[in-house]
Amino acid sequence: MEAAELWVGFVGAGRMAGGLVRGLLQAGKVPASNVLASAPSDKNLDAWRELGCRTTHCNLEVVHRSTLVFLATKPHVLPGVLEEIRPAVGSHHIVVSLVAGVTIQTLQRLLPPSTKVLRIMPNLPCVVQAGAMVFSRGSNAGDAESALLQNLLSSCGLCEEVPESYIDIHTGLSGSGVAYVYLFAEALAEGAVKMGMPGALASRIAAQTLLGAAKMLLETGEHPAKLRGDVCTPGGTTIYALHQLEKGALRATVMDAVEAATNRACDMAKD
Amino acid sequence: MSVGFIGAGQLAFALARGFTAAGVLAAHKITASSPDTDLPTVSGLRKMGVNFTVSNKDTVKSSDVLFLAVKPPIIPFILEEVGPDIEARHIVVSCAAGVTISSIEKKLSTFCPTPKVIRCMTNTPVIVREGATVYATGTHADVEDGKLLEQLMASVGFCTEVEEDLIDAVTGLSGSGPAYAFTALDALADGGVKMGLPRRLAVRLGAQALLGAAKMLLESEQHPGQLKDNVCSPGGATIHALHFLESGGFRSLLINAVEASCIRTRELQHLADQEKISLAAIKKTLLDKVKLESPSLSVASASKVSLFTSKSKKN
Repeated sequence: MEAAELWVGFVGAGRMAGGLVRGLLQAGKVPASNVLASAPSDKNLDAWRELGCRTTHCNLEVVHRSTLVFLATKPHVLPGVLEEIRPAVGSHHIVVSLVAGVTIQTLQRLLPPSTKVLRIMPNLPCVVQAGAMVFSRGSNAGDAESALLQNLLSSCGLCEEVPESYIDIHTGLSGSGVAYVYLFAEALAEGAVKMGMPGALASRIAAQTLLGAAKMLLETGEHPAKLRGDVCTPGGTTIYALHQLEKGALRATVMDAVEAATNRACDMAKD
Repeated sequence: MSVGFIGAGQLAFALARGFTAAGVLAAHKITASSPDTDLPTVSGLRKMGVNFTVSNKDTVKSSDVLFLAVKPPIIPFILEEVGPDIEARHIVVSCAAGVTISSIEKKLSTFCPTPKVIRCMTNTPVIVREGATVYATGTHADVEDGKLLEQLMASVGFCTEVEEDLIDAVTGLSGSGPAYAFTALDALADGGVKMGLPRRLAVRLGAQALLGAAKMLLESEQHPGQLKDNVCSPGGATIHALHFLESGGFRSLLINAVEASCIRTRELQHLADQEKISLAAIKKTLLDKVKLESPSLSVASASKVSLFTSKSKKN
């Protein structure tokens, strides 16, 4: 299926959906006029119209007029929405759920048996096309659907297919992980402020430091431990600072955080 | 070439054992001396075929390469005692933690105008020829002298030349390092025993695991972090264990240890420079014997010992 002929629908038009559509549009994957989004109120839909997308308050309309349907509602709303759209879902549809904690099993149970279902977990920086996304396919989704999704969403960042069991881990690592980075950036800046640098400047530099370090990691493909060693002049400032981080057991704390978020994602999925 | 050891303790024993096992030196070409004949290492040295004497002067006379293998506070006494017998041909190698080349050269220069001094930091695994040694050459030691020492020490493990200002750090890392490893191995064995292994097997396996890991690292181009990752299957046993290590601040403990050892080494040298070593740090029998042989040595007070003669008193 050519992406240009694709009719893409979004049930739910919140921040995550907005991030994805921006990525798709910016990369020219889909013309805005081919995008239709639904939401209960106009609150979110204004932004979509500004992008050139069509909007509606009717979920069924989205399903009728789209081939690729993204489900982007809040988790507690989804079962009701699925019941509503189920009659209109056919074997030509590709249904991709962004809904946290809702398993493929649940999705397939609430949709017609032959539906092609995929589940994706994005993260916030999709909004700036620097996201990290993983997706898994349901029983009826094949290589073609997987390739289509990958093609479209790589416009928003890193997009990889994984076994469904990795999705909760991705939440802990990268979905929530973005918040850990914000926390770290804030703390870095605060340290600088303590040492006498103005806050705004410190924040900008902190962000650029994280960006630059991440870019080096991604582009050199080197092990982070090696890159860390490269920065550490013997007896220099960096190794002194790292010692402080190790004393604070930063590594273990971060591992604890990823574990906690992952476990919480698992628990929430069971509810 | 003959080698002498002033001091017949753990270090002398380990080096002598290593050299003879490596075949670079025959036992009868080695002399070791100590006033204390009760040391357990003394009988070990004798059994090896090393010439043992109570006279440090005899050791000096029969050696080309002279290792000072005594504890740091004793060094000044030794230099005072054997100084007159040091000749231009001697290469004096000090293995004493924290004792600087300049302090040794200064002491010896009252006896010999251009003493060849090399400062060295090694460790006990020289005994099984897996030592870690660094050395720095003094003012009058030639490149060949350094190379000669390097050849000797390379026969018992890894040896490389460094700038002297790094030697205290080396002390903290590989000088004390085996002790950290023994502690870790003891604890690992405890872990094995807790989970049901017989002690002997636990010790054997723990030691082999560390040995193997160290060998892998030395033979690999890869960063230890990468090698660690290679062992950690997702969600597996190892990563669970590592999390515990991290939670306990394992890494920072090791960094702290190396730092503490290095700092203490510097502290001891500083104390020595300030002539504040307490008598308790020096065994009384040793002190008496040294005093007997060096009448010029003065004892400043009951609680402090002047480590330098009145001739070379510091300003």
